[in-house]
Amino acid sequence: MSRGWRLAGIAALIAVLVIALTPYVWLFMTSIKSRLDALADAPVWLFTPTLEHYPKVFLDKAYLPLVFNSLVVAGTVTVLSLVVGVPGAYVFARHRFAGKEDLFFFFLTTRMAPPISVVVPMFLLFGYVGLVDSRTSVILAHSTFNLSLVVWMMRGFFEDIPREIDEAAQMDGHTKAGMFVRVLLPMAAPGIAATAVLCFILSWNEFLYALILVAFESRTLTVGIPGLVTPHGTLWGQVAAVAIVATLPIIIFTFLVQRHLVRGLTFGAVKG
Amino acid sequence: MTLKRRIDRLLDKGVGPLFLAPSVLLLVVLLLGPFVYMVALSFTDLSYALPGHDGNFLGFDNYRRLVREDPVFWESFRTTLTFVFGVVSAEFLLGFALALLLFHQIQRRRFVLTLLLIPMMLAPVAVGLMWKLMLQGEFGMLTHYLRAVGLLGPQTSLLGDHRLVLWTVMAVDVWEWTPFVTLVILAGLLSLPREPFEAAIMDGARPWQVFCDMTVPLLRPILALVVLLRGIDAFKEFDKVFILTGGGPGNTTELLSIYTWRINFRNWDLGYGATCAFMVYLVVLILCAVFYKAIYWRSGETER
Amino acid sequence: MTVAFRNVSKVFADGTLALDGLDLEFDSGEFVVLLGPSGSGKTTACRVLAGLEQATSGRIEVGGRDITDLPPRERRMSMVFQNYALYAHKSVHDNIAYPLKVRRWPRAEIDSKVREVAALLDIERLLKRRPRQLSGGEAQRVAVARALVWQPEICLMDEPLSNLDAILRLQTRTELKRLHGELGTTFVFVTHDQEEAMTLGTRIAVLKDGRLEQFDTAHEIYHRPAGRFVAEFIGRPAMNTIDGDIEDGVFRSGDFALPMPGWAPGRAVLGIRPEHIVLHEEPSEGTVAFRLDVPELVEPDILLFATCGAVPLVVRTKAERIDLQRGDPLYLEFPVDRLHLFDPQSGARRT
Repeated sequence: MSRGWRLAGIAALIAVLVIALTPYVWLFMTSIKSRLDALADAPVWLFTPTLEHYPKVFLDKAYLPLVFNSLVVAGTVTVLSLVVGVPGAYVFARHRFAGKEDLFFFFLTTRMAPPISVVVPMFLLFGYVGLVDSRTSVILAHSTFNLSLVVWMMRGFFEDIPREIDEAAQMDGHTKAGMFVRVLLPMAAPGIAATAVLCFILSWNEFLYALILVAFESRTLTVGIPGLVTPHGTLWGQVAAVAIVATLPIIIFTFLVQRHLVRGLTFGAVKG
Repeated sequence: MTLKRRIDRLLDKGVGPLFLAPSVLLLVVLLLGPFVYMVALSFTDLSYALPGHDGNFLGFDNYRRLVREDPVFWESFRTTLTFVFGVVSAEFLLGFALALLLFHQIQRRRFVLTLLLIPMMLAPVAVGLMWKLMLQGEFGMLTHYLRAVGLLGPQTSLLGDHRLVLWTVMAVDVWEWTPFVTLVILAGLLSLPREPFEAAIMDGARPWQVFCDMTVPLLRPILALVVLLRGIDAFKEFDKVFILTGGGPGNTTELLSIYTWRINFRNWDLGYGATCAFMVYLVVLILCAVFYKAIYWRSGETER
Repeated sequence: MTVAFRNVSKVFADGTLALDGLDLEFDSGEFVVLLGPSGSGKTTACRVLAGLEQATSGRIEVGGRDITDLPPRERRMSMVFQNYALYAHKSVHDNIAYPLKVRRWPRAEIDSKVREVAALLDIERLLKRRPRQLSGGEAQRVAVARALVWQPEICLMDEPLSNLDAILRLQTRTELKRLHGELGTTFVFVTHDQEEAMTLGTRIAVLKDGRLEQFDTAHEIYHRPAGRFVAEFIGRPAMNTIDGDIEDGVFRSGDFALPMPGWAPGRAVLGIRPEHIVLHEEPSEGTVAFRLDVPELVEPDILLFATCGAVPLVVRTKAERIDLQRGDPLYLEFPVDRLHLFDPQSGARRT
């Protein structure tokens, strides 16, 4: 590659990064701007930062319980999906049985199902059994897509473990269940960790199920933010503050699982 | 034989069904159940807004209404198709170009990729709010600069103008998901064997011939995969657009998912709403089957 | 027309020095073999010649023209890769046609040319197949056909036989030799297999650590190795080399002593090929007594691993003496005209 092309390439990359990151930087700046700076006619890039929005929205407006709700929901969904899904993934990776790939396709359709179509009947059914506006309802709803994510992702991770390991463990005297718990799970631990993080992120970020299924007490953070946007005078500093709290931990999490992200987001079809 | 041994042997035999049953059970209860209920509901007149509409059987009336008497549904369908087709093609072209650019930037690749992940990993709600903030009519940062360079009239705003608004929400989607396309295609590029490319170079191919004759055909399964995945996801789009425009102004950005939401949870017309939801589900299922065929074709091609 | 490496060095991004001032010159029409152990730089040399790698310093010349900075497509060279690198998404016909297609030959001419080269390699019946449906040997032929179809001046081959099974390798070797004779194209052939090198090459370049050790015919390399490395690398089993001193016309190393009248005194490395040592039944003048450690039958020969004090040695002889047992004495004669003497420091041949 000639020098000119190389420079053009670097320039293009810088442009891409600026476009990709500016909105988020702007959001962050808004969260630490005074009201006056935020509503200024011309965009203000230099200002005296203030942290006033954070306590105002989380304490005075009681958004802190929403963070707690989101944590409980995402955490429970992750554990539930892993406990139920990981053994299933192992069966898909190792066992042969009639209709296996068809069943696997069923798992895929559940991951791909449009939330709006699932939530309509779910809302009514949960209403009949008295689950609406409870964290349980969101947890169950989120388990649907995360369970199949676990099965899809973990099947690949188990298939990466050579079959000889299973055979060696059985020769060493393990039962099948013992082999799974003591040999395969530890070997798949990095994959499980990555899957767990991805589950957590997907549940934490989810909006539509939570929007329909909970109203007051059990609102998650994503449902809470739009509530701050009103037709007359939105307090953008507070909106930004909540949005930053809702996203910054996720960004850090993302960096942790970057290596496995492609596999997770393509259902194991591309090994990143 | 001790009891423990007996139990162990029994467990060994049952490990497959025992391990698989909980996940199948959970999905059947949580997805198949509601699915069947939704289909059943679509044949009724259930409504929370109208008196007397408490789930009487209507036969195919709701479907007749959908096909013959509901132009808004079909307009929404058209909007959705425009949205899907527009964002997927833009994301594909930009993402592919960016992946190729990064493929040749060996040293800076990791750093750039790490930062590129940010847009796609943010909660879509946050993405929506962030861009609403940027595009605000009075003090939005982007609005201000666009007006300053004369690309936008002083009274128009990107989210308020009915001719611009669909393109705007599409642009936001492109901003959010192009990195995903890049990430997947780059992973594909990095997984390709080097030899066919060197062979083509030795055979005298020029860079663009190598691209057309080797890169694209060898990458085709991955390209198909990423287009399908994005297509399905774009078809289901709700969060961002809901936050950015709520479907408006008018119903210029009312995607199918938003329309379905409105019928069900604003009009409380649940029988007809179930019909709409079922339609959306059907389209996604079809796309899903294509996706599955595509990736299984791929594994047959490369493995074994 | 000559092809020349002029003081070519190649340092990879990770700091590996793959070529260290390589100088090599040969004529068109030759069958040049680049031979060396792994890491010797033979593949890098081939790839630098091809233009797939850029030399860090030095020049590559063809017919006096500096081609160091030319892209591969302008070098009139083709290449056969170790794993064949067939285009999985194209039929065999389209694989072979590809070099012509990118050169924009008319379709009819491409077809007739592909058929011609397919006939030459006896693969006409495979033209409609996909690479996936080919056996290793068939894929190999297709790769060769693709490399020869446009009649390049030089055809480079990077270990093209190493993925074939033993029998096929022998057949293909003969085939390549025949092709070279018929076409007169210059072949540059990379291998780590000395037998392949010795049978194929009109001349063999032995490489070590990115440098040229010797460039000569197989006969010369076998009988007059330029240094200790080449001597030990060529031949199976390897040449025996013994570190010792020459004093008063006798070579000594521990208990081992061999009269070598007329040789200059000093430290030296004595070399002799296992097959050149003569085994005698009885001790006589000019024989040295060794003790047999392990006999190894390699029909029709036998390898005798023996020691004289701390000096180990291998003898290769006809398998007539299978009665020999561990511990038996061996009386060995070392014919003077078969002895090689190397410098202990530089390893260079002393004449």
